[in-house]
Amino acid sequence: MTEIAFVLNNKKISVEAEGATRLLDILREDLGLTAVKEGCGEGECGACSVLKDGLLVNSCMVPIGTVAGCSIETLEGLRNSDEGRCIIDAFADSGAVQCGFCTPGMVMASIALLRVNAHPTIDEIKVGLSGNLCRCTGYDMIIKGVQLASERGEGIW
Amino acid sequence: MVKTFHPRTLEEALKIRKDEKAIPLAGGTDLMVRFRSWAGTQPDFPWPVMFINHLSEIRYIDIQPKEIRIGAGATLSEVEQCSEVPKVLRTAVSQMAAPALRNLGTVAGNICNASPAGDTISVLYALNARVELTSLHGARQISIMEFISGPGRKDLGDDEIMTAVMIPIESFTHTLYRKVGTRKANALSKLSFCGLAKIKAGRIDDIRLSFGAVGPTVVRSVETEKKLIGLSIEKLKELYSEIRPDYVAMVQPIDDQRSTAVYRKQVSLNLLDQYIESLTMES
Amino acid sequence: MKKRISDSIRRVDAFDKAGGITKYISDMDFEDLQYGRLVRALRSHARIKSIKSPKLPDGYYFITKDDIPTGGKNEIQQISNDWPVFVKDEVLFYGETVGMLVGPDRQKILDLEDAISIEYEELEEAFSIDEGLALKSGKIYGEDNCYGDYHLNKGDVKKGFAEAVTVFEEEINTGYQEHVYMEPQGLVGYYENGKYVIIASSQCPFYIKKAISPVLNTDQDNIVIKQATTGGAFGGKEHFPDIIAAPLAVAVDVIRKPIQVVFDRKEDLSFTAKRHPSRGIFRTGLDAKGNIVAMDVDVTINAGAYMSCSNIVLQRAIFSINSVYDIANVHVHGRSVATNAFPSDAFRGFGAPQGLFLAEMHMSHIARNLGISPVEYKRRYFMKKGDTTITNGIMHDEVKLEEMLEKVYAAGSIEEKLAEYTPGSGRGIGISFYQHGAGFTGNGEQEIIKAKLKMLKHGDGNVEILLSNVEMGQGLQTTFPKIAAQVLEIPIEMISCDNPDTSKVPNSGPTVASRSLMVVGKLVERASRELKERWDEDEEVEVLVNYIHPEGCEWDQATLQGDAYPTYGWGVCAIEVEVDPATAEVETKGIWTAHDVGVAIDEMIVHGQVNGGVIQALGYGSLEKLDYKDGKFQQNTLADYIIPTSMDFPMMSSQLIENPYENGPFGAKGLGELVFDGGASAFADAVEYAIGKKVYKIPVTPEYIMEVKNRD
Ligand SMILES: Cc1cc2nc3c(=O)[nH]c(=O)nc-3n(C[C@H](O)[C@H](O)[C@H](O)COP(=O)(O)OP(=O)(O)OC[C@H]3O[C@@H](n4cnc5c(N)ncnc54)[C@H](O)[C@@H]3O)c2cc1C
Ligand code: FES
Ligand code: FES
Repeated sequence: MTEIAFVLNNKKISVEAEGATRLLDILREDLGLTAVKEGCGEGECGACSVLKDGLLVNSCMVPIGTVAGCSIETLEGLRNSDEGRCIIDAFADSGAVQCGFCTPGMVMASIALLRVNAHPTIDEIKVGLSGNLCRCTGYDMIIKGVQLASERGEGIW
Repeated sequence: MVKTFHPRTLEEALKIRKDEKAIPLAGGTDLMVRFRSWAGTQPDFPWPVMFINHLSEIRYIDIQPKEIRIGAGATLSEVEQCSEVPKVLRTAVSQMAAPALRNLGTVAGNICNASPAGDTISVLYALNARVELTSLHGARQISIMEFISGPGRKDLGDDEIMTAVMIPIESFTHTLYRKVGTRKANALSKLSFCGLAKIKAGRIDDIRLSFGAVGPTVVRSVETEKKLIGLSIEKLKELYSEIRPDYVAMVQPIDDQRSTAVYRKQVSLNLLDQYIESLTMES
Repeated sequence: MKKRISDSIRRVDAFDKAGGITKYISDMDFEDLQYGRLVRALRSHARIKSIKSPKLPDGYYFITKDDIPTGGKNEIQQISNDWPVFVKDEVLFYGETVGMLVGPDRQKILDLEDAISIEYEELEEAFSIDEGLALKSGKIYGEDNCYGDYHLNKGDVKKGFAEAVTVFEEEINTGYQEHVYMEPQGLVGYYENGKYVIIASSQCPFYIKKAISPVLNTDQDNIVIKQATTGGAFGGKEHFPDIIAAPLAVAVDVIRKPIQVVFDRKEDLSFTAKRHPSRGIFRTGLDAKGNIVAMDVDVTINAGAYMSCSNIVLQRAIFSINSVYDIANVHVHGRSVATNAFPSDAFRGFGAPQGLFLAEMHMSHIARNLGISPVEYKRRYFMKKGDTTITNGIMHDEVKLEEMLEKVYAAGSIEEKLAEYTPGSGRGIGISFYQHGAGFTGNGEQEIIKAKLKMLKHGDGNVEILLSNVEMGQGLQTTFPKIAAQVLEIPIEMISCDNPDTSKVPNSGPTVASRSLMVVGKLVERASRELKERWDEDEEVEVLVNYIHPEGCEWDQATLQGDAYPTYGWGVCAIEVEVDPATAEVETKGIWTAHDVGVAIDEMIVHGQVNGGVIQALGYGSLEKLDYKDGKFQQNTLADYIIPTSMDFPMMSSQLIENPYENGPFGAKGLGELVFDGGASAFADAVEYAIGKKVYKIPVTPEYIMEVKNRD
């Protein structure tokens, strides 16, 4: 076990862990951040999406050892921010949520997209969400949710 | 328990590599998935692992007069977004996986994984890329075609780390990259094709043709390309049917869970035909 | 002005789900939680000679059939009870449960699993429908390996064939499909206050209760099932949770600590039930003008090693075999075949997608042979109100297919496009028609389910709806309260409808067969009306309502004759494709749909179902190849089992037709499965048009298209 220090949702923390342990497991099991979901554990579904140094990553593929000194943001840290609230509301108003299992990951991917591209086209939204699988919605309403967040979030993004 | 190392410098990493025989983990997108285990347990690595993606010495993309050096720590996203990187490579990278994965994975990892379906590899073959391998004794450079010898097999010493990929700066008049994946995004390749050619005054000055995922390694034949170089477009039309059988013989795909040998072969040849035809049409 | 019931509102669960606040089974905390892992027999057909397990450290258990409590049965009580909790002597499919390892540390469990060795005597295996029918591995079920063997007769086929001048024969197949609910299977079991409690990600809490009661040899009252918010199900959590709950319950009985069993994705893909593969062999007689005078169809489905719900799936498949068409003389022979494959099970549509695909393709093929456009040909046979159904019942619905077709044509400019693209040009449009009988077959509601529902008005004026149907994404926790709010004329915020707990809610039946909104929603409506009348009776008012069977719906389950369903949902789907000449990859250019779901209780929710269902069906029809080889599913990661991403299909047009059904709440009919029923055949039809050749199976992959193009 080694001590690994990093910034989680804007707070400095450190965890005792084996370096190869998945960030996903540390977040969910050690830190109780269950907005981060495991849908596949193989990088395919995006349910485990978090931001690492501001970039969208799949936490199931990140060994905690590579997180030392980094900043990690999860939905828990973002849901009460302007960005988080804007997306969550837009998703709720667009019918983007069904079973909800993919949704936290979708929200993270949307935030990552809108931060670098405040007015994405439909095709750009599709690319931005292409690593996040949803089996319920067929994606249209999620795409509309991102569009709505882009419209409503003037100044936020 | 898997032993892991977090070196602070490249030098330290090379020492660990030599002494502990630790395997480099860059983005981890191959390694973490290949050795994944049950949720809540650690990946099942059979050897010690060393994290390298944070090392500033390898985290760069450097544009030099004659070549582009992509540091082994540069992520796929960084490569995709760097406008100096050859367009054909950026196109291939932009079609790999999805944005989140590209923020982690590296070109070096894609090469060192040495999968016949590695998407940057067929393009790097065509681009005559070289790789730099560094140990405590210094660095050596070899061509990517020499580096990879089979699925998962590569010329990497157990004290070496790949530190950079070098791509000569060249220009081509006809470029085609085509990935045929399992779906439109976040897909692994069933096959891929890369064609690069320089045509001047109706004459082929240079041509490179490579095929991914249709053999144990990427298929490219410099020998066959030589038969094409120097031909006029008119001659190409005439001789193509004699040269094509070389590729019919070289493209030897297999059946697997993603596609069939028959499909892979036919589509590879279709794409080749299409590319050759595009050369003859535009001139 | 009072709002229309169809006007959309924000889903009650959306905010917490989008914010990551909602807890799913694997998100829940338990003190002293133990982990369970199923130990499986890795043979498709074998006798177990011995099982050697290592010495277990303290706190670790290897639960096997020897741990079933005295008097308990090694049988899971489903529709049938042939599926054992733990392999009896003979392993019948690859991955069958042998035992469950339980303990606090997952790595130790994995190490123990590695140390268990099972010795087998290998036996002959049968995987395909034909191998099953030929008894290649002996008798798996009965004398002939047919769990179900049915005949339907409508009109007089013999006479029909006598009038035929040509007989057209062909075989069409559909493949396996995996649900890929994004949340894998998961349950937690514990023992509390003398009761066995199971928290489950499932569709049917009462099914689980019934399934495990004989295993534990305890009264159903001693078992409590609590529904966990379910991250997608699609039929995959209808019966399959029983298969996990049974060994889990045995483990809880022994260990008496909370135990969690959550599959990881690979385990879920490798070892859970899939949609039944099917085969239809058609013999159709045509007269000199090309009219259908007789149709004889042989339908078989690969049911796998245990019966589960296969016979009911088969029934739906054969009831759907004439799609939306009234064919005068028909004989259908349907069989669900036992093999050593993983048992197939419920999946959105429950046999109808298979039957409808076979039917739609066959009708298109007849038309193409005759040189008539499939749409024109199919329109001649559209079922109308008063027509005779394939089970010799009466079509009670006003059928609005023509109107729907018109809407789809207008939205997609289909007429113009068809005029422009010629068959074989690489571009094509496919159109499918479909119906889905809403609710349980025949008198199942009346005879088997007997739904009950309770509504409570509390002292503070808040209302609670108590029922057993679960929210799994389809929106019930919004639509049920919405129905009540509309009747009671109170804000929806005052009405709750929580995840069911079997110790608190009456059994309103399973969340299956597109029955929940239509059947149970009607009970909500009725209970609300009663509550409204009795609102001032007391501080607290309790209303209990029971299911009432619609009049004029006669059914005989023994002969499968009469009104198989009280009403039907209807659909039209058009797909435009372009096929790449070099790679045979298909680009879907447009999707236009129209559906008759009676009345939408919430338009946004309905459009969400349409969108999700059609895309899932397009996956089924084009991408989701699942091969079964040597007893194993070959595509067992999400890298290899390919479901649609956001980039695979264009955004779609979805239109609704109002056609109220009097026995549904505010006129609503079932729709969750209907929307899955047409995507695959529309896609295949479009590809046929584009390449100018016929396709005979799904998924229509580029590999298959290449093969078809090379034909001749
Ligand atoms: C969901 C998903 C989708 C994917 N899609 C694609 C795709 O479309 N196309 C594609 O080609 N691949 C794909 N991959 C595979 C993988 O992402 C790529 O191969 C990626 O480029 C690997 O880079 P990495 O840095 O993550 O490698 P790692 O996992 O870190 O390493 C891979 C291998 O390279 C070795 N290695 C890494 N860096 C060095 C170094 N500097 N020196 C020596 N050895 C080194 C490692 O030891 C290991 O053997 C996908 C993977 C996943 C999980
Ligand atoms: S759980 Fe990480 S991508 Fe699916
Ligand atoms: S809402 Fe269920 S998976 Fe996306």
